[in-house]
Amino acid sequence: MINPGYKNYQPLNSSATMAQSTIIEIINLAKTFKHAAEPAVNGINLSIYRNEIFGLLGPNGAGKTTTISILCGLFPPSGGKVLIDSQDLQQHLPSIKKIVGIVPQDIALYPTLTARENLEFYGHMYGLTGKLLKDRIEEWLKKLGLTESANRQVTTYSGGMKRRVNLIAGILHKPKILFLDEPTVGVDVQSRNVIIEHLKKINEEGTTIIYTSHHMEEAEHFCHRVSIIDHGKILTRGTPAELIENTPGADNLEKVFLHLTKRKLRD
Amino acid sequence: MISKLIATIKKETLLLLRDKVGLSILFLMPMILIFVMTLIQDAAFKTINEKGIPIIFVNNDHDSLGIMIEQGLRNNDLCSFNDSIDGKPATAEQAHKAVAEGRFLVGIVIPKGATDAIRRNVTQLVEETMDTSDSTVVQAGSAADSVEITLMIDPVAKKSFLNSVTSNLHEFISEVKTKIMFQTFSEQIAAVIPGKTETPKSAYQKSQIIRYKEIYASRSEEKIVPNAVQHNVPAWTIFAMFFIAIPLSSSIMKEKNEGSVFRLHTMPTPYLLLINGKIVVYVIVCMIQFLLMLSVGLYFLPMLGLPKLVLGSSYMGIFILTMATAFAATGYGVMVGTLAGTEHQAAILGSLSILLLSALGGIWVPSYVMPEVMRNISTWSPLNWSLSGFYKLFLRGGGMADILADALKLVAFFIATMAIASITNRIKRTY
Repeated sequence: MINPGYKNYQPLNSSATMAQSTIIEIINLAKTFKHAAEPAVNGINLSIYRNEIFGLLGPNGAGKTTTISILCGLFPPSGGKVLIDSQDLQQHLPSIKKIVGIVPQDIALYPTLTARENLEFYGHMYGLTGKLLKDRIEEWLKKLGLTESANRQVTTYSGGMKRRVNLIAGILHKPKILFLDEPTVGVDVQSRNVIIEHLKKINEEGTTIIYTSHHMEEAEHFCHRVSIIDHGKILTRGTPAELIENTPGADNLEKVFLHLTKRKLRD
Repeated sequence: MISKLIATIKKETLLLLRDKVGLSILFLMPMILIFVMTLIQDAAFKTINEKGIPIIFVNNDHDSLGIMIEQGLRNNDLCSFNDSIDGKPATAEQAHKAVAEGRFLVGIVIPKGATDAIRRNVTQLVEETMDTSDSTVVQAGSAADSVEITLMIDPVAKKSFLNSVTSNLHEFISEVKTKIMFQTFSEQIAAVIPGKTETPKSAYQKSQIIRYKEIYASRSEEKIVPNAVQHNVPAWTIFAMFFIAIPLSSSIMKEKNEGSVFRLHTMPTPYLLLINGKIVVYVIVCMIQFLLMLSVGLYFLPMLGLPKLVLGSSYMGIFILTMATAFAATGYGVMVGTLAGTEHQAAILGSLSILLLSALGGIWVPSYVMPEVMRNISTWSPLNWSLSGFYKLFLRGGGMADILADALKLVAFFIATMAIASITNRIKRTY
């Protein structure tokens, strides 16, 4: 059996290494959509440190994607403030967008374009051109085992291959901050292994990663710190080890998650 | 920024080239429409203008009236003259049966002695007029004989066709009557003038001093006749250009559904630039469509025996008007793609609204045959502005100055649709 890459990964010790500078400061963040009965995000305060892998975990409808969407500049918050790399998000959105990368949960690719054509287009949109863009594309296609199929239309790809191209499109420009919205959902163990391995390398090279997932085991081994969110509020935060230790009867992150968010089914 | 725009244009071009259904909608469908609609309408034109209305003529008179009507009908382009059925001279009964069976649209029966009756009536009238006695009392029994020409009409025949035939017929009869009257008057006058034994043979012809000259009020020196080609080629080309709203809005919706828009909104590239990339590609597509449709009118339709499209003389006017139409069409597509919530909605909204705008705009039926209310509404359709501009260029020999107002209206429409799209997009993003 192939061992997923995150199994061998050693999370950073929060108390020892998290004294570094903050790259994302979220202050009282709120978002209420029109005609919604309750806010999607309800006064979140959070500090994400430079060069960490931060997990934002929660059940469906907890407010994870809304939070990430606001942090990416997709839409403005209803209240609160976000500082990214010491700059106010709303005031410096164009410059902040240059240092941010996103790998959305949906395969955000053009199915009738080839992988190479998709990456060339998205690379250009991040301001990459010429040889630099070409080299980056070739480098990542090779790393993620897609060189041979790069000239095939994405519509002919398997789910795992699409996920890998989806990942490359978000990291071509070497972002300082990378948002991953369930990057390994629906992929086989092999693809997940490759994806996680490379994400760790990216992180080691200096990229801060904010990650959401329903895969608790993956999050437990992959993230330096996690925060569990529900009903638009932060329920807890800390390293996976700290959260497990502080939850009675819990010996893994999934039990912590269920303890905090309860077992009631969500829509 | 330029490299981003070029990348967007390249992406849009590739997406379009790989969308076979979209391409067929853009190019094949309008070409087929032009062929079919022009052939159908030209056939209708031919019924009237070239082949003529099939007429069965029964001449029981065999005198001046019958002969003149026969000659008139034979020489009239409006009619396809026949006086025999199955190789034998037609009788009134046979003619009635043939018209009832739909073999002829109109049957005309000139009764026996019609000319004599007219002649008698005229002679009597002349005599009464020339009578030098003081009596003004018309004697009993001197009432004019009546001449009854029978017109048999196929119920399916168009009223307008029949009006043309009967109007011609009345003209022939009136002419014959006048001629006979003229001749009789001349003879009577000659009889009362001492020494005048002969009447001038060409007196009637000499009296025909009024002539008609038909000219088309066009600025072009070339005679451009309105026909199915001159209407259908620009009309369906405009329709096709506006029909790009469907693939264009569908492309916008696909990007939303496939998550690309989500990613693109998070990138350091203004969304307007991405939309501009689409506009550039689709405006070029419109221009290619226009060239293809023109080539159909110029080269392919004449091969089928149809008239050749006449372009007029202002090529710059054609270019400006086509560009303005292309921008209006792409703007409309962007607006539909932004307003719609799903791809399905975009397809329905796009196709139905364009069908409606084209019907109102005079694409299907020229606006001048519409009722006044609809004619007024028609002037609000951007397709009408464009068609009106092309009429000015192709039929009236107009130039740049003539189509400027139409072109400006189309550009204003483009700006308005883009503004609506931009505001809608902003509202949808901020919720």
